[in-house]
Amino acid sequence: MIKSLTGLVLRAVVVLFGTALATFTLLWNAPGDPAQAIAMARFDALLTEDVINQVREETGLNTNFWSAFMAWVGPLLTLDFGRSSVTGREVWPDLLTAIRYMIPLALGGLVIGLAISLSLAIIATNRPGGLLDRFAVAVASLGTAIPAYWLGLLLILLFAVHLAWLPAMGARTPSHVILPALTLGLGVAASLTRIIRSGILEARGQQFLPAIRRRGVSKKEISRDHIAPHAAIPVVTVFGLELAFLLEGVVMVEVIFGRPGLGTFLVAAIEARDFPQVQAVVVLTALIFVTVNLIIDVIYRVIDPRIGESNA
Amino acid sequence: MRSVFVIAGILFLLAVFGPFLAPHDPTAINIPNRLSPPGSAYLLGTDMLGRDILSRLLYGARWSLGLAFLISLIGLVVGTLIGLLAALGGKLTDWTVMRVTDTFLAFPDLVAAVVIAGLLGSGTWSLIFALSVTGWMRYARVARGIGLSLQSRGYVIQAKLAGLNNRSIARWHYLPWLLPTLTVVWTSMFARAILGISALGFLGFGVQPPMPEWGTMLLDARIHLRSTPLQMIWPGLAVVISVIVINLAGDILRDAVATERDQA
Repeated sequence: MIKSLTGLVLRAVVVLFGTALATFTLLWNAPGDPAQAIAMARFDALLTEDVINQVREETGLNTNFWSAFMAWVGPLLTLDFGRSSVTGREVWPDLLTAIRYMIPLALGGLVIGLAISLSLAIIATNRPGGLLDRFAVAVASLGTAIPAYWLGLLLILLFAVHLAWLPAMGARTPSHVILPALTLGLGVAASLTRIIRSGILEARGQQFLPAIRRRGVSKKEISRDHIAPHAAIPVVTVFGLELAFLLEGVVMVEVIFGRPGLGTFLVAAIEARDFPQVQAVVVLTALIFVTVNLIIDVIYRVIDPRIGESNA
Repeated sequence: MRSVFVIAGILFLLAVFGPFLAPHDPTAINIPNRLSPPGSAYLLGTDMLGRDILSRLLYGARWSLGLAFLISLIGLVVGTLIGLLAALGGKLTDWTVMRVTDTFLAFPDLVAAVVIAGLLGSGTWSLIFALSVTGWMRYARVARGIGLSLQSRGYVIQAKLAGLNNRSIARWHYLPWLLPTLTVVWTSMFARAILGISALGFLGFGVQPPMPEWGTMLLDARIHLRSTPLQMIWPGLAVVISVIVINLAGDILRDAVATERDQA
């Protein structure tokens, strides 16, 4: 167990380092002179060679690739993301504000998604192959084909324009989170329903179930002690995938609803070519991702000891 | 089941021949006619610059579906080669290749694609690059997985003993086994690419105006959501229908592949 854990952690570190290196390579090779772009953004006009050189020196763009990379990665280890190259403000506080806006949206989306997909999957598996089951599967596959940006626009059209029940743009009041979270949650539900459904079906098909049923164990106990834990394994797997979906969804949904958050922060940073901000978002996303996947790998080994024996 | 392939065929024909059916020039600006409702001259109405929406949809199929086809094909070739390299290249190569794959997987593809396309500068080439770089990992994993499982087969061992090099083994013994499964993966990646292209277009990092692409059309339509809501229905519908049809075709292919495996 300990040996496989060290392996997992080592792997996570390698992956994180790889992400940092890939991001930096991309930024280093991005077209255009970043120093000039930064100087333009910061000082608007009056671009003399001196100003650009000064920026170049400040941002470490005058050195070579590896020393610039090390100068960036070093402080990162202490979670120092540096200063925005455009505004000169520290990146971390602004990023933190963005994350604070993102969390209610992401959590809301996840809760809505889980509630819908669990109920749909349970209703569907009540009679596998029945009308309700086929309906649930069809709705779910339809859902995965609907992109968040279209669904979001449709929801705005219905609830904000036609019915005028809910606000659509911005994040002024708590009710502003409802439509974005619903957009996100419906997407999550679509991708989860099928997986939970097949998890339940598979768990029900376990060969020892008829035996314990005949021994007189109640239906409720069987569901709780034998079906639910088994169905949990694919759900844990999906959670890792779902995190990717949530983050992608958050980016799109925030842009659609003009809501501040990690996605709008990232898009604005890219448009302004604010490299330290972009780097910070990328590294932070990778960190969240790698950590969650690490936790998932550990949970697997706890739920099902067979995993991890064959391959690490 | 057959109807799925018929619709898929129609979509393919529309992507190829759509422009010949288009009643208007998709980029012709006609300000006096801007935001006109559906009518006889403009079947689906016009957008904010007076461009015919139907024609833009038809031309857009070439961008949205054509580019997605290209991107998913690049991913298929690159990913398969990388996966085969991992499966046949020995332990060290396998470890290195798989850590690189993990690194790419350690990030939500769409976010990565946004960063890459955005930083490289908006345009079709950076779009293709961004979505290809983030779209090969699943093929690589599948190719490696099947490759490793074939390693202990009798005929592979015999081929090795007979002195066949890795390239020939990959070509004659692995590829035929891989192709059916990879085709199924390809259909789902094709659908993903359609969604990716229009997502980037919607964020403004994809195909650039005035080129008609479904995501970019949605971006335009968003501004006029209140006055002409119908305008945003069509491009979204086009994306959804394409993705559903491709996914259904993928499901059918997957079942067919599974049945064949069971019989073999």
